[in-house]
Parts: sequence; structure tokens; C-alpha cells
Amino acid sequence: MNCEHSEQTSAYLDGELTGEALRAAEAHLAQCPDCQALAEDAARLSDALRVLDRYPAPAALRGKIIAALEGERRRSSKPFWLGAASGAGAALLAASLAFLAILPPSAENLAQSLTASHAAALNGDLIQVASSDHHTVKPWLAAHAGLSPPAEDFAAQGFPLAGGRAEKFAGEEAAVAVYRRGNHIVDLYAWPDRGRTLPPPGLVHGFRVRFWKSGDMDFAAISDVDSASFDQFTALASRK
Amino acid sequence: MNDRRRQFEAQALPHLDAAYNLARWLSRSPADAEDIVQDAMLRAFRAFDGFRGGDAKAWVLAIVRNCCRSRFAAARRHPHTMLDEGLAEDSETPEDKAIAASGRRRLKAMIAQLPEEYREALILREMEDMSYAEIAAVTGVPIGTVMSRLARARATFRQLAREER
Repeated sequence: MNCEHSEQTSAYLDGELTGEALRAAEAHLAQCPDCQALAEDAARLSDALRVLDRYPAPAALRGKIIAALEGERRRSSKPFWLGAASGAGAALLAASLAFLAILPPSAENLAQSLTASHAAALNGDLIQVASSDHHTVKPWLAAHAGLSPPAEDFAAQGFPLAGGRAEKFAGEEAAVAVYRRGNHIVDLYAWPDRGRTLPPPGLVHGFRVRFWKSGDMDFAAISDVDSASFDQFTALASRK
Repeated sequence: MNDRRRQFEAQALPHLDAAYNLARWLSRSPADAEDIVQDAMLRAFRAFDGFRGGDAKAWVLAIVRNCCRSRFAAARRHPHTMLDEGLAEDSETPEDKAIAASGRRRLKAMIAQLPEEYREALILREMEDMSYAEIAAVTGVPIGTVMSRLARARATFRQLAREER
């Protein structure tokens, strides 16, 4: 029923083809009755949809949204104590770090909480949206973690973006961008800056951690890669 | 903070109608669509610092779409029945009355029957006038996939239209 060129014809109708592809599609359309019929039906559908008009947003919706935005000025963060490391099959390391995750957040404990969170993710839900494209990862993080950190792909420098996840960490919703370096994972955490003092860089249970502030977000990088690679990554991730 | 809110309102709120329309086509009812848009706008506001300019409409619609997907992930098995119910609740706009009301209802019902990926591509293309690149940015798939989904949306629609007769 459908000519094998129907995709090209469809793209041609949308004005998406250029150069040789455009010429070829036009030439084909001129002599293919199937595609001509498709073109006619597609045009009719297009007209019908344009006449249809959008469903209008209810009048009160704009006001409701603006009111909600005003309420956002000081977002309340309920204290959230991370539970023990994720379920059955958590590796020994994650299990041994679990006690760290239930400490209340403070500068000293932030590095330990981060490590516990990262270790649990390594053994459980590491990537919730798999993509190397920030056009995919950023809106996903905005929708699921409520913030949209850079999430750049550093594949050219040897740290390809593997995806992202939303995580509860130290009383915050954090957006995590997940990178690979060979067989290792580098996690880049971002959460809202609440004026909290950040700890100095360090090594916690074999994971290198570094914290910094940028814009109105706090960031942390954590990984078990070697020191030179870790420095390279944090330099990339923290540049303006 | 006030300045940030004003900037956000200036950049994101102009796309409120587009956001609501997309949510409406991807969800069960007007009430669902409202909830989704409110939720999406709040999330977009929280993430606003990460938005370094560019296409605000595509950015907002991508967040709306993500909110729809996560909300209805469990109910995905019966997308057709979901929307059929929703359309029956729809209150008519003045346009519905001006032009053959039954024709429009039939058209909406047929669009509602399309698989979700085809439906959203068609809405973004024909109602929001988005290019394949913009649709790709909103839906998070490659441009080739957008092209294929639109072609299949049109083919499926033709099939549905034929069956109607």
C-alpha cells in the first residue's frame, strides 16, 4: 500500500529536504500515484489540524502558575534521611557505607553522604535516562529533579556522558549527570545552593570527591578514577 | 529573585497555551492537563538557571512531555481508551460550533487513536509548526526518528480515515 519512498515524501512536504534529496523527492513525487495520494491526504490532515486550534489553557491556569512561582521563592527542604543502601544485591561496599547515609547533613558528613549515595547507585539505579545528548538529559533532569545542570558531553576529552538520574541526597533533590571513563563511572551531582559550607576535596572509601559552587547550585564530582583523570574532569565540569 | 521570576515569566509563560495543548493531547482529561502544566512550569522555574537561552518553547514543551510520560508510565497499556474518555468530557470551543461539530469530533477521535509517539509528533509539527530539529529536541529522539514517526502518523491516519467510511 505505501510506497517505500513515503518517508522522503513526507519530509519533502514538511520542507525538511535540501539539495539532492529534495530534487530526488520531487522527481519521485511527479511520477508516483501512491505518494501523490499521500501528499494530498497529508495536506488535508495538516489543514484540518490547523483549523482545529489548540485546546486553550483555562483562564485561571496562568494565575495559578504565577501564584505557585511566588510560593517558590523560599523552597522548604524537609530533612530527608537517606535510608539504608538499595535493596537485595547491594554489594558489600555499599552495605558497609549505608550507616553513613543516615547521618544528618553537615559539611563534615556531606562527603560521606555523597559517597554512600554514589556507591548505592553503582549497585542499583545508576542511570535513569540513558543518553549522551544534553538535549535529552537536561529536560529529563528538569522534570525529575527540578533542576537543569549543564550535563555537557565531554566525549572529546575522554569522559562521554552516559545519562542522568534524579536522587535524594542530603535532604535535597539532586540531579546527577553520569559519565564514563573507560570502565569507571564519574558522577556529577548538582543540587540547590542553600548557603551550606562545602567540604574540601578528599578521598572517601576509595572515591575521590570534590565540591564547588557555581551559579546558585552546589556541585560535586565523585569517582574512583585516578587522580590525574579526576582533576581533568573537575576542571572541565567546573569551567564557566 | 523577583527579577528571576520576571525573566522566567517573560520567557516561559508565552508558551502556556502550547504547553497546555500538548499536555491535553498526551493525557486523560482537562484536569490532568492542568496539573501537568502547573507541575511542569514549576519544575521549569526551578531549573531556570540551567537554561542558558535558546529555544524556550522547545525547552518548556520537553519538560511538559517528560512530566506526561512519567505520570502515565504505568497506564501506558491502554492509551486509546484513556484519551477517548477524555475527549468525551471536552467542552466545546466556539469554533467547534461554527464548523461541523461532528466532523471535528471525529478528527479529534482519530488523532486520539494514534499511538502516542505518532500523535505527539503530529501535534508538534502541525499545531506548533516545529521543525524536525525542534521536535527532536522536545521529544529527545534523533531527527531520523522524527521523520519516520511523522510518515507513519500520516499513514496510520489515512488507514483510520479509510476505515471510518
